[in-house]
Amino acid sequence: MDVVQYRFSDLNAMIDRVHTLVDHWKAEGVFPEVFEDTTLHMLRLAIHEWVANLVQHADFEDRKPQILIDIKPNGRKVFCAIKDNSAGFDLDTNLRIRESMLQRLPDRGMGLLMIEACTEHLSYSRVDSGWHCLEFSVSADQDPWLHIPF
Amino acid sequence: MNFTAEPVNQETVIIRIGKALDFRNASEFKSACQEQVRKGVRNFILDFSDTGILDSTGLGSIFSLYRQVSPLEGQVVFASVSRPVQVVVQLTRTYKVFRQFPTVDAAREALT
Repeated sequence: MDVVQYRFSDLNAMIDRVHTLVDHWKAEGVFPEVFEDTTLHMLRLAIHEWVANLVQHADFEDRKPQILIDIKPNGRKVFCAIKDNSAGFDLDTNLRIRESMLQRLPDRGMGLLMIEACTEHLSYSRVDSGWHCLEFSVSADQDPWLHIPF
Repeated sequence: MNFTAEPVNQETVIIRIGKALDFRNASEFKSACQEQVRKGVRNFILDFSDTGILDSTGLGSIFSLYRQVSPLEGQVVFASVSRPVQVVVQLTRTYKVFRQFPTVDAAREALT
């Protein structure tokens, strides 16, 4: 399968459209058989959490929000890149802060940590034209675990 | 969507989660559950049979409910857990906190 690219601009409708897209992939058998349901749900969860983070917290300043999602299966992994035209933020610092502040059975603060837990090679950096890009892989061989204090 | 509570008895209700419990409706879920706790409900059966999305905020709202009812010797249990929800449960190991039942009827039987 080649790279597939999707462009979204309506933040309110974005989450539902992302899930419709994953449902479509599943129904159409877009991914190779090696990607079981669990791998696709991990991918779905990571994309959902990231887009939810953008919808709730990103600063798009005076720009019309835009998000571009690229996906590409590669062997037993799926590579995903999500570009956005927000002001961006320091993902690594935020992850470590959230990790250190995670309380017992927390209400909030788990989203970015969930993304980190169910992905590999996670990064978020500035790219051309002032956009930012989240990149990660989801592996068919993962058994991820996010440690939440109970 | 509205989270309606189906009474099992005075202390136990079934909450049908529906298609999603996420950052868009988690506060509504919390309000609906708080209303039940005020009425004396202690045990919550969460029916995930139709649920395609459970995100971190949705899970956080369930943790919040658990923190409310556990000091009252109440329980929060999961029933008919769909595959997308099971992935989140497995990722966070929350099966250690919330008992799971294959069906709502099985959960109802265990709690009454």
